[in-house]
Amino acid sequence: MPGPSLLDHRLLVVTGKGGVGKSTISAALALLAASRGKRVLVCEVNAQEQIAPLLGAPASGGEPREAVPGVFTVNVTPRDAMREYGIMVLRFRSIYDAVFENRLVRYFLRAIPSLAELVVLGKILHEVRREEGGRPRWDAVVLDAPATGHAVQLLRVPATLLDTVPPGPLRRDAQWMQDLLVDPLTTSLSIVTLPEEMPVNEAIELDAAVRDVLGIPRGALIVNAMPDVRFSDGERARFGELERDPPPLGPAAQAARLQALRAEQASRYLARARTALDLPTVLVPLLARERWDLGAVEEVAASLAGSV
Amino acid sequence: MGDIRESLAPKRIALCVGPGGVGKTTVAAAVGLQRALEGGRVLVCTIDPARRLANALGLEALGNVEARVPAHKFREAGLAPRGQLFAMMLDVKRTWDDLVARHAPDRGHQDRIYKNRIYQQLSSALAGSQEYMAMEKLYELATERDYDLIVLDTPPTAHALDFLEAPDRILDFLGSDTARVLLAPALTAGRFGLKLFHLGSSYVAKTLSRFTGVEVLTDLADFMASFQGMYEGFKNRAAGVRALLSHPDVGFLIVSSPSPRSVGEALYFHERLHAESMPIAGVVANRVTADLWPQGAPLPEPGELAAALAARGMARDGDLCERLARTLAEHEVLARADARQLELLFRSAQGPRAVIPRLESDVHDLAGLAKLASCL
Repeated sequence: MPGPSLLDHRLLVVTGKGGVGKSTISAALALLAASRGKRVLVCEVNAQEQIAPLLGAPASGGEPREAVPGVFTVNVTPRDAMREYGIMVLRFRSIYDAVFENRLVRYFLRAIPSLAELVVLGKILHEVRREEGGRPRWDAVVLDAPATGHAVQLLRVPATLLDTVPPGPLRRDAQWMQDLLVDPLTTSLSIVTLPEEMPVNEAIELDAAVRDVLGIPRGALIVNAMPDVRFSDGERARFGELERDPPPLGPAAQAARLQALRAEQASRYLARARTALDLPTVLVPLLARERWDLGAVEEVAASLAGSV
Repeated sequence: MGDIRESLAPKRIALCVGPGGVGKTTVAAAVGLQRALEGGRVLVCTIDPARRLANALGLEALGNVEARVPAHKFREAGLAPRGQLFAMMLDVKRTWDDLVARHAPDRGHQDRIYKNRIYQQLSSALAGSQEYMAMEKLYELATERDYDLIVLDTPPTAHALDFLEAPDRILDFLGSDTARVLLAPALTAGRFGLKLFHLGSSYVAKTLSRFTGVEVLTDLADFMASFQGMYEGFKNRAAGVRALLSHPDVGFLIVSSPSPRSVGEALYFHERLHAESMPIAGVVANRVTADLWPQGAPLPEPGELAAALAARGMARDGDLCERLARTLAEHEVLARADARQLELLFRSAQGPRAVIPRLESDVHDLAGLAKLASCL
């Protein structure tokens, strides 16, 4: 695979259609990076925190907190980010509190177009370049970004502001953020998909937006829940007839026919994605798990280990 | 079954809500198709930027205006509709522009707003803008057209009920006294001849400008000034939308998949809709793995399957019996996990329900949609 590996980047952005497993993949990438000795921060921007609970840890809220050794998580909300950013700009907490904690002003700030996205993204990117004792605080920051449309909205904010905002503090911040987002040595955006029709269509559209609108360096297409091919065509041909048998053979043949069908469809959608996208693809096998817990994420991380 | 179909029968508007990736668009299209088959004049409207509805309806593309699903598409699927099916996709920017044109006192005013940078962001990129315009379009369609049923597919929002709250939030801002007070020096400086130092004269505005840059505030003041006479019109319309949504003619359909995360979000939606006294027409669980093995019975060992295969004349070639046993066991793990999530979903969200099994192939035409609709 040409170029540096995914995990060599300081900022890994993970996005894709809703429901494809972005949070699981983000958590797995973090575990994998940690297993290679890196200190990792996973950022999410969800109303309901996902990552820390997935790793079996209590929710971390607005401050980075170690969920498992080497992996810290944080949930960035507009309100916390606004406060942090405001205090940084104004330098004095008392001024911030007097002006910004006013209910009406808070309201007003929320309505300034894109300001919420800007401060959220600003907080995350600030973590990316944050230093501690002369070295970066994090070896890697994984951003579990929102689904397709919302991710583009979030990641496009710096560029939009550079187009529309005249010189001033807002523009200066937009500038360093944009520089960081488009730097191929720092940032890499990966798209997660399922090997199904709609998610693959959306991944293809999303990749075009990443290339043409966002200009963020593209990492990999991560195909989640990929079923394996385990039955030959000859075997498959007999399942239809065996399905009508009583248990145990009937149900087993039915499950087998469904598995084979799913594997065939998946390989077709995978081929379509590979044809349409000039991205390295990383396959994550479909795991039959009753519960999605730390063990499941570790299993996903192990399956990623060879390819990222 | 037929629970959902029954609860939607008296409705004129159906809103599909739920987390992303659960098949809302497809369910919305199926609901619309079903009523069209029964004889209704139906419109399905999607605001999903991924434009997937066209895909499922077999149309080449969807635009901002209603397009009728052509008769040959029905024929190809072996369907004979007694009604008509239309589909469209919401264009957020166009809807904003139409709304401004509707309320602006004159052309000059309208152009001034169109050119304002704050407006341009508001109408295209502001979070919640999409949701607001979806509601606006719904209101327009519901009051100015004569469909028997309008099905709206809402965007996969991370923020639960943004489409209920966003209109109020955006309008409260546009008509906000706060903004007027904050920007008062600028606003009173003359409607269009703003000078920067006017803004600087307010302490709050001065502090804010260190945060946002002074020109953002100037743009904003200018925008608020041009918007002033139009606020009432917008506000009345939003109140109309709100009233429309709580009308008994409206039904919210909560769509979820059996994944724990979707179920969690769906239940949150349910709770919020309930708290807002919105009429809930039912809960749909989509893509559910069917249970193939009797509950509680031990799963078959490879040996038992080998014997059964031998009895059917299939030689014990290779490890087929092992692979069959493993496949059934894995299938059952997934089926049981789904069943547990469904139990949680339906226990907490009472009322009409439907379970749509994971289909053997993706829905990509009307026949597939009709099959899905039969589960409702």
